[in-house]
Order: sequence, then structure tokens, then C-alpha cells
Amino acid sequence: MNVQFLNPFVEAAFMVLESEAGVSAKRGQLALRRSAATADDITVLISMVGQVNGVALYGLSEDTGIALVSRILDQPFDEFDALAQSGIGELGNVITGQAGNRLAEAGFEAKISPPTMVLGKGTLISTLDFERLQIPLETELGTIQIHLALREA
Amino acid sequence: MSKIMVVDDAQFMRVRLTKLLTGHGYDVSEAENGEQAVKTYRAARPDAVLMDITMPEKDGLEALAEIRSFDPGARVIMLTALGQESMVIQAIKSGAKDYVVKPFDPDRVMIALQKVLG
Repeated sequence: MNVQFLNPFVEAAFMVLESEAGVSAKRGQLALRRSAATADDITVLISMVGQVNGVALYGLSEDTGIALVSRILDQPFDEFDALAQSGIGELGNVITGQAGNRLAEAGFEAKISPPTMVLGKGTLISTLDFERLQIPLETELGTIQIHLALREA
Repeated sequence: MSKIMVVDDAQFMRVRLTKLLTGHGYDVSEAENGEQAVKTYRAARPDAVLMDITMPEKDGLEALAEIRSFDPGARVIMLTALGQESMVIQAIKSGAKDYVVKPFDPDRVMIALQKVLG
């Protein structure tokens, strides 16, 4: 895992959270993992294929997900329904897209997949042979864990 | 009242854009992928289109090309998370009138629409 891939994601997440939800984020302790990721209530998976290959995962609690979509759409959500799921998937898509734009500027062009969502805590998500960088982003609405298992092609 | 078609695979984004546009007095139709966008365009003949790029069935660039093949005057604005220069150039070459990168500023979207609608 190339550490230079990390900052584009952190910068993108900061920018997107601020712009979409008016939330500022603080980065927590970075960790390099070889074991499978343990899913939070909500995990968004987005693949990248190109000069960078692998997957970006975004993990968050249901409360954080509901709080975020309520802010973004400016209407209250009582449950993490289909519309809320779509909103969090889109948030992951926009963060990954913005990170992809930054990576492209650094010479790594990649396409991104539409988001997939794992619902339910505790599932193990293995990135197989890809090492995974994990960095928590702390916000007033809760923590968002970014996991990156990316490789230079 | 101008008719705008919103094309995005994310329901959340369609709801959000529809809310924004109807709030500004536009008449909105929606499509959730490129394939559906082409069909809806033929039927509804919107005055302008806000088009995502990464979508299943048919992506936004393919849909843009197809729509412009039967309506060369189609006014399509790309609205996507992909902001790489290569993608922007490809879209403009394919006939996109403007290109807005997500996260979008609502004012930026409204100005882009007003501009293409003349």
C-alpha cells in the first residue's frame, strides 16, 4: 500500500464533508492492517481500477449516517431507509471521485465503480492480498473510518 | 416553465436536485441511468439535462452522445464526481455544454442552467 494514496482521500473527505454537510473533520490515528476489516453498521465499498487498483471502504454507525443525510438533504430522517442509504453511498462516491481527481493530478488515473453498501455490524471484509490503511475521521456527527486497500498498477 | 431532466443513479441525488430545481420553478423529470435517460429524453424533450457520468446500463457520456445524435441541439450539463481533465475534455468534445464537479454548489448549478437556457 502506497502511503501517498492516503492524503488525497483524507483531503477529499474533509472537503466533501464540509461542503455537503457543513461538518469539519479531524484525522485520528493511522494504522496499517493485514487482517480483514470489521464492518460497522454501514460500510460503503468503492473499487478503483486504472493506474491505482483496489478498494476504498467507508465505515460509519447508523446514527452518523442518519445525521449526515439529514444535514445534506436538510430534512429529518428517522431511519436508515433506502433514501438514506442512497445518500451515504453517494457521499462515498463523491469523496472517492474527489480523491480520484487528486490522484489523477499526481499522475494516477483510475476509474471508480458505483458504490456497494454492506449493512450490519461485525461482518469481516477481507481485501485479500491488499494491505489496508485505516484512518478514522472524527466529526461532531460521529466517526467515519476510511480503509484503503490500493496498489499502484 | 423550463423542463429539466435529472439523470443520476443515486436516488438521493435525484431527490436533492429535484428539490432544488422545483424550488426554482423548474419542471423536473428523472432518469436513473443512461439507457433510461435516452428514452425519457425522447419522450419528454427537456430543455436541459443534468447528467451524472458513472451509472449502470449506460454511462452519462454514452447517453450524451446518443441524445446528441438525434438532437444535436440538446443542452446537457455533466454533473459528476469525476473531475479529471481527461474526463472533462471528453465530455466537452462529446457536446456537453458545461461540467460541474460534485460536491456541487447549488448556485453553480443554477447559473449553469440559466446560461444554457439562454
